[in-house]
Amino acid sequence: MMTLFSSPHLHGGNRSQRLMLLVLAAAMPGLLTQIYWFGYGTLFNVVWAILVGLLLEAGVLALRKRPLGFFLKDGSVIVTCLLLALALPPLAPWWLVTVAALFAVLFAKHLYGGLGNNPFNPAMAGYAICLIAFPASMTVWTSPEHYFDLAGQWQWFWQERGNIDAITQATPLDAMKHLQGKTINEMLSANPSVVHYADAMFRVNTAYLAGGLALLALKVFTWHAPGAMLASLGIMAGLFGAGEPDLYASFSDHLFLGATMLAAFFIITDPVTSATSRKGKLIFGAGIGILVYVIRTWGSYPDAFAFAVLLMNLSAPLIDQYSKPKAYGQQP
Amino acid sequence: MRKLFDFPGGVHPAQNKQQSNPGKVLELPLPQRLLVPLSQHIGAPAKPVVKVGEQVQKGQLIAQATGFISASVHAPSSGTISAIDAFPVAHASGLEAMCIELQTDGQDTWHQDIGSADANTLDDQQIRQRMQAAGIAGMGGAGFPSSAKLATDKPIHTLLINGVECEPYITADDTLMQVHSADIIAGANLLLRLLDQAKCIIVIEDNKPQAITVMQQAALEHTDIEILVIPTKYPSGGEKQLIENVTGKQVPKGGIPADLGILCQNVATVKAINDAVYLGQPSIERIVTVTGNGVKQPGNYRIRIGTSVDYVLQQCQAETHANPVILGGPMMGFQLPNTQVPLVKTSNCLIVPDPQELPGKDTSMACIRCGQCEVACPAQLLPQQLYWLAKSDAFDKIEQYNLMDCIECGACAYVCPSQIPLVQHYRYAKGMVRQQAAETRQAEHAKLRFESREQRLLDEVNAKEERRKARAAAAAAAQAAKRAENPGAEDPVAAAKARLAEKKAAEASAPPKKAAEVQVPANHKDLKTAAAIVRTKLKKASKAFADAQAAGHDNTDKLQAMVTELEQRSEAAAKALADFESNMGLDPEAEKLAQVTWAKANAQVRKLTKAAPDESASDTEKSEHQTALTAAQATLDQAKAHLDSIKNPSQEAKS
Repeated sequence: MMTLFSSPHLHGGNRSQRLMLLVLAAAMPGLLTQIYWFGYGTLFNVVWAILVGLLLEAGVLALRKRPLGFFLKDGSVIVTCLLLALALPPLAPWWLVTVAALFAVLFAKHLYGGLGNNPFNPAMAGYAICLIAFPASMTVWTSPEHYFDLAGQWQWFWQERGNIDAITQATPLDAMKHLQGKTINEMLSANPSVVHYADAMFRVNTAYLAGGLALLALKVFTWHAPGAMLASLGIMAGLFGAGEPDLYASFSDHLFLGATMLAAFFIITDPVTSATSRKGKLIFGAGIGILVYVIRTWGSYPDAFAFAVLLMNLSAPLIDQYSKPKAYGQQP
Repeated sequence: MRKLFDFPGGVHPAQNKQQSNPGKVLELPLPQRLLVPLSQHIGAPAKPVVKVGEQVQKGQLIAQATGFISASVHAPSSGTISAIDAFPVAHASGLEAMCIELQTDGQDTWHQDIGSADANTLDDQQIRQRMQAAGIAGMGGAGFPSSAKLATDKPIHTLLINGVECEPYITADDTLMQVHSADIIAGANLLLRLLDQAKCIIVIEDNKPQAITVMQQAALEHTDIEILVIPTKYPSGGEKQLIENVTGKQVPKGGIPADLGILCQNVATVKAINDAVYLGQPSIERIVTVTGNGVKQPGNYRIRIGTSVDYVLQQCQAETHANPVILGGPMMGFQLPNTQVPLVKTSNCLIVPDPQELPGKDTSMACIRCGQCEVACPAQLLPQQLYWLAKSDAFDKIEQYNLMDCIECGACAYVCPSQIPLVQHYRYAKGMVRQQAAETRQAEHAKLRFESREQRLLDEVNAKEERRKARAAAAAAAQAAKRAENPGAEDPVAAAKARLAEKKAAEASAPPKKAAEVQVPANHKDLKTAAAIVRTKLKKASKAFADAQAAGHDNTDKLQAMVTELEQRSEAAAKALADFESNMGLDPEAEKLAQVTWAKANAQVRKLTKAAPDESASDTEKSEHQTALTAAQATLDQAKAHLDSIKNPSQEAKS
């Protein structure tokens, strides 16, 4: 007898792979801008992380006796590893990228049951574990003025040989955090390189913003989580920045420095680990924005998306519980 | 221009409506066999009123509606009833149901009672009767008996006539509106007449321009009938979605459109109402769209109710060997496991797609909770959450997520990037929720039955007791009456009581038997045992008495008497023992003391014997030990002698 299919018999043609490909494509402007301003390190990270991730995914799928081709082509591991690599510093050596990818794919994703079952954002879990385990390696950022050429980066990536003191620099968020008695404006006028750095970060963030808006237009995700996150971060920064402009980084600094736009449109929009309903996503995004501001301003890390995202991942089931939409026709 | 509203969610699938050439009704030759199910509607099945072998005419009643929510069934053509039995009907599972099989005679002669009427001369009651007799059930797909829908006592201000036909492929209503616009308007006017004070809106999706034009023409002279065009979006033809689209109001959860003062009817239903009232014709035919790339002659066919799907597909030259057959639209219709099933009042479409047209689904992938389904859901549900809960059989929780509000429109599965057959999961969960509810009801029913049985048994026992008491009272009364009649005679009961009292008094005055035994003891040991036994009995009896009192039992006076008696006996036994001991010169306290002294001395001797110094010890040590041992031995002998003297005073006297 013929196989019976349940209705609907029509399908809109949307595929998970399509969503993943769109995310990959939308991240490209950001990736290229990052490479342009901060060197080839990010490129090395991306290629190596994706290779490691694919191998791990294939290994786990083989162990779990799942069809390899079918699941590898869903593209989810590529997206995870790309986002992880974009978040890692450009001077991350191969082993650091490997550890991060390993933790992301094996621990954060597959030990929880694979795609769709992981409670924590795998990229952020991989990033956070490295930030805790290897704080020194995780906080060296190249300056936009100097970075290794391709050969130098190759040598650094594999052997950690090269004079990195000449090319590293504190990030603007870091510099604004450690003012040493100066006001922000005094610090900036004393350090033109920070201003230059901030300018580069602004461009990188703008590139991610553009990619994110494209995804929004293509309805890959709804506006709720990124909108709420940017709004809450902006409001926090606006309030404190307006009150004490000498001590607190401004509204635009918070929105366009660090990993803000990357996180807003590519990290916190991970559907698996965020809250479910649209109302829930508003709470989820707002929570991340507030946590990021708090950790950036009063915590001991210059940027804080990994921790903020993981904390809100943890809260997602609770948010779901209290953000069920009203049933159709239910009186308010 | 009326302001239009929107409803949440919805999708825009490819329409594929042109290949069935809407606007033209095709006729099929009358089939030789018609199989008419008794239940083509929501509610109770109709009851057959004909017998096998009976000749029937077209339009003759063959099964009568049973109850308020039910619809009658009529012979779709003239012929002979050949069977009344269970046959496979159009159902996703190949379910069988009761049907009446009719072999047509080809004459197709109307029954003599079928006749037209002038509606103007009929009163409202007669119009309702003619509608009800025609067995009309909602022809848009739900099959709710129309007369029951119309019988609401809630005030209706708006009659919404549904010509939306939002599912892709189907053009049956489109065609009907183009061909029978006048009948629809006439039917709508009949309903308006019954509803009193209501206005009528006929709603059509903007993808049916011909139907809109024709209907507007037909409605031109009727000021209380409005033709409203709404944008194409699936599922705008769903009753609740349609109402929100037009009025901006949501039908309350658990409520019906009448709660908002709205009555919805499908265009085909309204046409059937027209036929029933004006022509007297019952619901025995409808228009069915036959389409899909597997059909060589697609189109809209007028078929008799009960025509086999197989017959229709043959006539339309459909290729059904390699292709599935879908009854209904591509979004909510179901694949037929068997095409030897009849078309019924609610069947609006048959699709025979080729494999490229509606491909079976790939293996579904993991749900990534992307939320596309949530955006598409017109019922404001969280399809992704429902899916996870259905998959983990969390049926209690799934109800909190309003699973039962799911209208199974399929919009979620249509947009799902992981190709998960979501609606199938929801159907499964709904079935389980219903089953659990039924089981709970059954369990409650069983509990009630058990409790009432217990009560009944208890009542029987009580009644018996009452009867016994009544009998005893009657007997006593009779006795008293007898005595009153005969005061000199001796009362036998009083005499027996007196005899019993006498006997008891004699027993009480005689010395207790056991106490006598105690008074003649064999020796000291027996006395001790007797005293101990009585003490134990007393303890037990006292405890039983205390327990009985605590539990509030009635007959404690007996126990109390027993306790008193045992107390007396215990005292007597103790006294006897003491007397014996004093007679013999025994002193239990002194004996105990002597026993202890002897035991101590004994222990001392043993200890010293054990701790004897070995060969290597010095002479001094040896002699010291010897002295101590001798002294201890002497003490022990003394104690032994003392103890013996106390135990046996006579021996001491003798020596």
